[in-house]
Amino acid sequence: MSKLIALTEDERDCYQEITNVAMGQAADQLARLLDVYVVLPIPNVNIIERNEFKMTIKSLEDAPSVSAVCQGFIGAGVAGEALLIFNDSSFSDISQLLKYSQELNTEEELEMLMDVANVLNGACIQGIGKQLDINFSQSHPIILGQHRPISELLDEKHVTWQRTMAIEINYTIEDHNINCDLLLLFTEESVLHMNRLISFLLED
Amino acid sequence: MTTKVLICDDSNMARKQMSRALPDNWPTEITFAKNGAEAIEIIQAGGQELMFLDLTMPVMDGYETLEAIRKDDLPIMVIVVSGDIQPEARDRVKKLGAIEFIKKPVDQSKIAAVLTDYGMIGGDDE
Repeated sequence: MSKLIALTEDERDCYQEITNVAMGQAADQLARLLDVYVVLPIPNVNIIERNEFKMTIKSLEDAPSVSAVCQGFIGAGVAGEALLIFNDSSFSDISQLLKYSQELNTEEELEMLMDVANVLNGACIQGIGKQLDINFSQSHPIILGQHRPISELLDEKHVTWQRTMAIEINYTIEDHNINCDLLLLFTEESVLHMNRLISFLLED
Repeated sequence: MTTKVLICDDSNMARKQMSRALPDNWPTEITFAKNGAEAIEIIQAGGQELMFLDLTMPVMDGYETLEAIRKDDLPIMVIVVSGDIQPEARDRVKKLGAIEFIKKPVDQSKIAAVLTDYGMIGGDDE
């Protein structure tokens, strides 16, 4: 029987702080790529149940149309996936910043989406790994879909877990209409292992 | 002489990490604040000399805190300690009057070096 995962207030605080540092590193890389200032939010850390997944996704992004990329990661004792969800209205501003001359076609958009996903997911996952002393390998990003309502891209059918730790990060870019959400999902076994890893950080 | 140090961060863990990263032989009296608004109140009450300030916080963030300190000309030195390592973040806090920017996670030698630079601890006794 697997133990039910839960987080104490100290553990939640610890994951939030670890994420805070990791997303700062990711933002720095995106800022350099696009020559902008990325506004950093306070990350949200929660244990969610399978039947709450839809609500979580919906609360993340209320734009009528989004594009999403999913990327798995795995390291010693810890596995999960990163979902990057782009508000579609972001594309014109990003293409401008990346100095594309005209409107992007679908293929160029896809390429750009993958580039940004690699930067944001990669830096964030590696940043978390470094603080926990875990070397993460990442799978190639997979496109879940482009220009669709979020409920069509992600629903409970994608979900293989009963319960997960979800870390939500909402990135916005100052002075530009660019908005994306990074959702990191960790398996239950991973959370049990990570809780042991962080216990040394929480000692008095 | 004891230095009055204020540590302002919304994370309990970060506050602890920060207080542990201070030099062992440096006599301090540490006060904690969970956001900028709490910090400003404590500074206004008087006596604080140095603040370690996080940027990303609820209620009042680090930038707003620096602005409030400047507006009321509050007598405190501020070292920003943040995970936001974008060059722009460093430039902004320096323009707002922070004397130094230290990136998270904090390490003890970096803190000691900064405190030595500003003459708050002697370089020799380390």
